[in-house]
Amino acid sequence: MQKPPVAERLADIVGEKHVLSRQSELLVYNSDGLPGYRRQPRLAVFPGTREETIKVVRVLAADGLPFVPRGAGTGLSGGALADDVVLLGLHRLKKIISLDVANMRATVEPGVVNLRLNRHVAPHGLLYAPDPSSEAACTIGGNVAENAGGPHCLKYGVTLNHVLAITALLPDGEVVELGSATGERDGYDLRGAFIGSEGCFGVALDVTVKLTPRPETVRTLLADFMSVDEAARVTSAVIASGIVPAALEFMDGPTIRVVEDSVYAAGYPRDAEAILLIELDGLRAGVDADLETVRAICLGGGARAVKVAKDDAERMKLWQGRKKAFGAMGRLAPHLIVQDAVIPRTQLPAILKRIHAISEKYGVVVCNVFHAGDGNLHPNIAYSADDPAESERVHKAMTEIMTACIEVGGSITGEHGVGLDKMGYMESIFTANSLNAMCELRGAFDPDRRSNPGKVVPIHSCREWHGVASARAPRPLSAEPSHPAVA
Amino acid sequence: MTTESIARTIRDASAARTPLRVCGRSTWLDAGRPVRAKQTLSLQGDNGVVSYVPGDLTLTVRAGTSLAEIERATAEHDQWLPLDPYGSSDGTIGATVSTASAGPLASGFGLPRDLVLGMEFVSGRGEVIRCGGKVVKNVAGFDLTRLLTGSWGTLGVITEVTLRLYARPKVDRTFVVKLSGNGRDAAFLGGFLAARLGPFAFEVFSATAVRLLGLGDRAVCLIRFGGNEAGVAGQLAALTALATPEEVDANLWTRVRQLERDADCVIRISGPPSAFADGLDDILGDDIPSTMTWMSPVRGLVRLVVRKSSGPNAVSDVIIGNESGGDHSGHVICEKLPTEVWRQVPSAVSDPLSQRIKRVFDSNDLLNPGILG
Repeated sequence: MQKPPVAERLADIVGEKHVLSRQSELLVYNSDGLPGYRRQPRLAVFPGTREETIKVVRVLAADGLPFVPRGAGTGLSGGALADDVVLLGLHRLKKIISLDVANMRATVEPGVVNLRLNRHVAPHGLLYAPDPSSEAACTIGGNVAENAGGPHCLKYGVTLNHVLAITALLPDGEVVELGSATGERDGYDLRGAFIGSEGCFGVALDVTVKLTPRPETVRTLLADFMSVDEAARVTSAVIASGIVPAALEFMDGPTIRVVEDSVYAAGYPRDAEAILLIELDGLRAGVDADLETVRAICLGGGARAVKVAKDDAERMKLWQGRKKAFGAMGRLAPHLIVQDAVIPRTQLPAILKRIHAISEKYGVVVCNVFHAGDGNLHPNIAYSADDPAESERVHKAMTEIMTACIEVGGSITGEHGVGLDKMGYMESIFTANSLNAMCELRGAFDPDRRSNPGKVVPIHSCREWHGVASARAPRPLSAEPSHPAVA
Repeated sequence: MTTESIARTIRDASAARTPLRVCGRSTWLDAGRPVRAKQTLSLQGDNGVVSYVPGDLTLTVRAGTSLAEIERATAEHDQWLPLDPYGSSDGTIGATVSTASAGPLASGFGLPRDLVLGMEFVSGRGEVIRCGGKVVKNVAGFDLTRLLTGSWGTLGVITEVTLRLYARPKVDRTFVVKLSGNGRDAAFLGGFLAARLGPFAFEVFSATAVRLLGLGDRAVCLIRFGGNEAGVAGQLAALTALATPEEVDANLWTRVRQLERDADCVIRISGPPSAFADGLDDILGDDIPSTMTWMSPVRGLVRLVVRKSSGPNAVSDVIIGNESGGDHSGHVICEKLPTEVWRQVPSAVSDPLSQRIKRVFDSNDLLNPGILG
């Protein structure tokens, strides 16, 4: 079969084997970390260098072709799905360009895997703080696009707080410097605007991140409860105490048992209805004192036991179960749906009760494993997208859970991004003016809306947009039985 | 005053093509470039707490609320907003966020961009826009909150802000370390930074500033530790291993914030922290009576204050010297300058992308025209 001309021109830039256009080859790129959604790209191109990336984007710009940037494809919002358009894979740009130990910063290409950066800087007593659970696979470019978080963002902040500068390639091929790698600067915070723009503002060619000193001491404790409500109340009490743990994670009974049945078994008590995994770090003397305070709050709040990891090996084991929990869900069913709402932290006990009631109403098992300290929920349901009746119940339950979170003043996403998955909820939390302002901001970076078209902000919210939307926007997900957002 | 009345004022001004000078309590109007506007839009009357749930450690206030009011409201619950911009707490939160102003606590708690969770603003078209939210973690939609923070009112008039709060530490102590004025200071500074003690604040002052603070006549470091009792004791022990700290009253920080009160030139020079450690003796030694410098080593920032008597040449020498390379690769950020010197300072928003963004939010150049160049 003859390649279309653009594929040939792209192959001239990146080499033939880095351009895929056969349907069978493209199959593996038809979903991201939410396997319930599938979209097939028309073409996929994988530049290997910064220069190749610039040339590729300029060819696409010259032809007016939309494209979808993609890192490792671990995203959980359908944000990296390319619906019959070009998929621009950036995982081959994986050079760690520089490491400045004295000033605690590093400059990397977008395809560098998060954990690889951390391993690279660890010998210098440093770490890169944002630690999404997909850290072993996800890329820094993807982290920037999604403004990724992770368990330790409770104390250290999200990607936004750790990126100093970005060299960005705008969709028209222009290269711009956002922020500054060398020091604070004035002017508009364009770096801040770019972070979390979900690939709609262009792609990062390099990213300069701030590194954080490894704490002198890290203590991890596991508190287990016979009641979800008690664990939720203890979470609120720890936050209200003013101690800022490095992480405060929550897992409920169903999640504990799935993890314990899997290869990621961490030794969690199988009969518990909830556990809290709380980590404290900093200078030894201060951490030891906080540890006793937290232990007392847990025991006073109904914890059956509080176990403190005695060494790094035990700590890692406790974390392994948490970080691989979504993976463990694969034991239950072929598909997994995960939400990412954030609620005010005092609402935690009430919302968890509500989620339980909703799960009973629809006869589904909701597993809760989440960043409790931030109020960032991840209710998830393992199901089969091939069973229409089950899919319908699952999505009705998820919609009701999201609505409940919005009602208590929450946000629809804390770290996974809007992508396609949550676009249907944008109008429940933002006014028409606010959505239009976001559309227009996007227009300043990408006037033709070619970069990751049809994501984040519903296209009908954009008043000034008179482009050929029908040709470029992905098919609405409402056509699919598995879509939660559009009822 | 309500958001709607502010929006109406902006729409009326837009219809009449009357540029607006946007201000809070007008405590810092001499900052930024001269504004080409005769009509003032003051947010001073639009103040007060909108919502505050202490257990959530978040606070929503109207933009005209002063930092002092926020201090009072949060102190009742043993919490605080760790944001101490230079000047005083008389200024409003709206102005502080709009100008991204921060003080010594930024070393420990970050800049306004790290503390603002969401906001409401009115664009130059008079449209009311809400962005971000009231929760501590949020990636819904494009980040207009960061874009407006530090935009000096040129993209929109901030009317309401939601902020992340912290619990007041049980212990909050400030120490002074006198520097020797010889080559050992750089070693102390390097050693202190390497010890990674996580101070709330850490500033190094030149002798002129020290005299104004009444701390003697030699350059000093001021170090603020906070946390639980054992933690601060540990920090102090580590500091004592490196130097001979003396405890001072924490109110000293209020005086630090007022150091530049009579200044007519205030400039920040940023760069990689190591560049300043290397040039420490120059920074502190070049201490002419009308000029003060102090430095935030954690942030990589030198604050240079020139007081009235020195004349504009001293200032332009510094700016031109740094813009044309100097010996570090950072930035010169001017806050206050004599009008004639401003003309020599390149605009920070003249790049095409910034200009396109400006056109999106304030296409008629109605809001604070000229303040960013």
